[in-house]
Amino acid sequence: MVLIGVRARPGAIAVARRLAGHLARGLAMILVVTSINFVIIRNIPGDPIAARYEKLVEQGMSPDQAERATAVLYGFLPRGSLWEQYVDYMGGLLTLDLGQSLSTPGAEVTGMLAAAATWTVIPVLAGTLLSFLLGVTMGVYAAIRRSGRLGDVLAISGSLLHGVPQYVLALLLGAIFTTLWPILPGSGTADIMIEPGLTAEYVGSLAEHATLPVLTYALASYGGWILAMKSSVVTVLGDDFILAAELRGLTRGIVFRYVARNAILPLFTILALSLGLLFGGAIFIERIFTYPGLGLLLLDSITGRDYALMGGAFLLITVAIVIANIVADMLYTVIDPRVRSGEESA
Amino acid sequence: MPSTPSDTRADNPPDTLGRGAPGVRISGLSVVYRTPAGELPAVRGIDLELPPGTITGVVGESGSGKSTLALSLLNAVQPPGRISAGSVEIDGLGDVVTLRGEELRRARGRHVGYVFQAAQNSLNPLKPVGKQLLDLGRSHGVADLRGLVREARDLLGRMGLDGARVLDSRQHELSGGMRQRVGIMFALVLNAHLVVLDEPTTALDMITQATILRIIREVHEERGLTTLVITHDLGVVAEVADRLAVMYGGRVVEQGPTRQVLGEPLHPYTRGLIQAIPRLVGDIGEARALPGRPPTLATIPAAGCVFRERCPLRTDVCVTQEPPEVAHGARLVACHAVEGGTGEDRAGAGNHGGQDGAGEPEGRAVTAGAREEQV
Amino acid sequence: MTAPIVVAGGSRATLRRNFWSGVWRVLRRKPSRMLGVVILIGFAFMGVAGPLLYPERLPRDDDALYAPPSWEHPFGTDFEGTDVLALVVTGSRYVLTTALVTAVITVVLGTAIGLFAGFRRGRWDSALMRITDMKLTVPALPLLLVLSTVWKFESAVEMGLVLGLLGWGGVARAVRAQTLSLRERGFVEAARGLGLPTAHIVGRELLPGMAPFIAMNMLIAVTGAVYAQVGLFFLGVLPFEADNWGVMLNLSVFGGGALTSTAALPYMMAPLLAILLLTLGIVLVVDAMDEIFNPRLREE
Repeated sequence: MVLIGVRARPGAIAVARRLAGHLARGLAMILVVTSINFVIIRNIPGDPIAARYEKLVEQGMSPDQAERATAVLYGFLPRGSLWEQYVDYMGGLLTLDLGQSLSTPGAEVTGMLAAAATWTVIPVLAGTLLSFLLGVTMGVYAAIRRSGRLGDVLAISGSLLHGVPQYVLALLLGAIFTTLWPILPGSGTADIMIEPGLTAEYVGSLAEHATLPVLTYALASYGGWILAMKSSVVTVLGDDFILAAELRGLTRGIVFRYVARNAILPLFTILALSLGLLFGGAIFIERIFTYPGLGLLLLDSITGRDYALMGGAFLLITVAIVIANIVADMLYTVIDPRVRSGEESA
Repeated sequence: MPSTPSDTRADNPPDTLGRGAPGVRISGLSVVYRTPAGELPAVRGIDLELPPGTITGVVGESGSGKSTLALSLLNAVQPPGRISAGSVEIDGLGDVVTLRGEELRRARGRHVGYVFQAAQNSLNPLKPVGKQLLDLGRSHGVADLRGLVREARDLLGRMGLDGARVLDSRQHELSGGMRQRVGIMFALVLNAHLVVLDEPTTALDMITQATILRIIREVHEERGLTTLVITHDLGVVAEVADRLAVMYGGRVVEQGPTRQVLGEPLHPYTRGLIQAIPRLVGDIGEARALPGRPPTLATIPAAGCVFRERCPLRTDVCVTQEPPEVAHGARLVACHAVEGGTGEDRAGAGNHGGQDGAGEPEGRAVTAGAREEQV
Repeated sequence: MTAPIVVAGGSRATLRRNFWSGVWRVLRRKPSRMLGVVILIGFAFMGVAGPLLYPERLPRDDDALYAPPSWEHPFGTDFEGTDVLALVVTGSRYVLTTALVTAVITVVLGTAIGLFAGFRRGRWDSALMRITDMKLTVPALPLLLVLSTVWKFESAVEMGLVLGLLGWGGVARAVRAQTLSLRERGFVEAARGLGLPTAHIVGRELLPGMAPFIAMNMLIAVTGAVYAQVGLFFLGVLPFEADNWGVMLNLSVFGGGALTSTAALPYMMAPLLAILLLTLGIVLVVDAMDEIFNPRLREE
């Protein structure tokens, strides 16, 4: 019959197509962000690049050496046309050379970023996982009980948590757990008196210090999951195949699984956005709890006018969001057979 | 497509023959929907009997309550609707309206098979058909899942599909006609002997429609089913049904053997329906659409005849009194304008003497008659 | 690009009428929504009239630094002995002005671009949507921080302008989707067939249907703007030109140590409560707007 060819693996091609599209868009984004970086560095008020160069020459460096020393900090030589400088800057980025930090002399930006990224990625992922599991479960309840009081409470609290900015949540949690009822540490990654290592004491201290940041990430995204899952479940409950499943006499458990699996699918696209938002929010949370992640690094580089570091941190945050987007979409493609076969190639 | 010989009954598992086709007696059935304007009736005081082993067609425009009637057979009217009165007696099950919880769930699928409209997506889009079949088996405590799969493959094969391949596919990989056959397979695979088909051919092309109708008839005969077909298409009914009930505004206005109702319609609405069909031969101008529109939930008149607004034969009594169903030969007609007949030979119609023993031979006779006419 | 903007001006009366009648119907269904409206009106009043209630320079009480809450100072005093409540009230003008400017720019730009893309379709559409997508993916807050190194957002209006220019992406996307779906329903083709001019189609047929939706997005834009600018001041990357909630948060947390000692806690809580209350008001009103726009969500 018409079956021939329908199942002949159009999937792989569709997936590759999608991936290529994402990569192209991601590269374009990165180009835009790096260009913004360049423009900003090039237009710093007071022209510190020239000042730096002159200072080095005054200190007795040869003009050639001084130029290279300046280039290490800013990513391009302090002479030549705008276009030459731009090419120079982008060339440096291509070799993953992000220059040296100004505020911590001699430190490579790449190394600093790698160290800071750990402190952002782990709490963000932990918080997201926590809120996803909790929010999705509660969202199902909110959908099933949507005409009752419980549903109302869940929906309104979800909207509030979703609406309130992260710093408000962080400050409230901080006020509760570090000021009014001081049971959790409010800054740093671990007790500095404890020797770092794989000891129970150190790991315990790490966990204790991560509690408030993780809790804030979780609370900040929990509301979004409730709302998204609720509306998704309500939509699926109205689908014909659920009624069909009931009319076939499938057990409640199986029908519930049909609903849940179909409802959770669209949430994977939101996952990307949520990760993006959390990376943005990391700035507040890390500032409030003095947690040395990417956000705090970006903020410190801005207050310290450390442009190489600032550009690097901004770039890395953007790249993280781009990657999160791609991963989420690919995940969606793998999970949803309709997308995989290229049916919904809109 | 392999045509199925009619003596394949031997292939069926032994308990098929044991159970036989159940009879169904719907009496005084009313369904109301809760709306901001109060509870409005979608189906009102319906008496209908499905004699064992027959195919009954229910025809009506959208909003006539025919789908609600179909769902009532499984006590599955969706909120905000509910069955407010009446009973649905199914042989071997009892009154479905009183079933609740697990009892009701087990009856669905096992005793009553339900086939959704083809255009509707009645399969879980994420799971292959085979996996959903296993879900069905587990839900009904089928011990021999391998046997179930074999049975499903056979059924699909008899309907002209590559069973193994279909069981391996997901919904989006199947065409409308294929989905419909999968739906029929799901309704039959647990050996349900009462099958309800809701708009089985709507949104299918003409060729597929014909195929599906042939399959329905074949499977019905072969397995000894009692079948209810809900449709808005008189052609479908003429093709498959032994008996026919015409619904309007939540009421059955005329019912009886298909040949009689279509050949010599008594109720003005039935007549209007038949006149509205354009013929292949003859002048297209002869097809006359019914004037006016069918009533919606909110505009069904509370008293009097539901059809009076569009009726050419309307009289004063139609406004005040609801016409009772009156026997005309083998038929029941609810119309003041139709002269009352006698109640002598009414082949198992109505809810009165619908005893199994009495109804069955009559039903068979009608089946044979209809068959002759079509072949 | 100019046509939709001109038309948007012309049909404002229609837009407003539909909008208000819809609002009233839905508000009466749940009292909590009334509360939302009351809260928002309260904030608007505070922004307009609040600063007039206090002298130009707020009085200081050198004997009562970080005073605890009392009848005289419901939220205590700050590090200079100034009444915290007075700071919240006077600071609201800056916050709300920014929010208003942002909202207007977001909605006007977003609606215009969304309408244009959805109406024209084709090449213009895909180009505009590419840009929108990109804007939506670039992390807004880090971008703002980076921009703050070269651009001092000096006045509230300037701040609102920047936030508005960064924030129209979401509205544009949503309005485009709406336009496309209305198009699919044959609205536009039907109106074209009747020989109606584009201006009429957009102004009379498309915009009124989208009015509550746009209003809803405007409210969301207001919240976004409030959060973003309070957040920027809180982080301390902008010069403290005027009193506002973000400055208060910054001084209380990083100056007063509100997260380590209880003395500065009321000073921090006051602007936080203001933000929470504003959020609550907007959530409640958006809930109402949502129902106007999307009756399907109505619960049985």
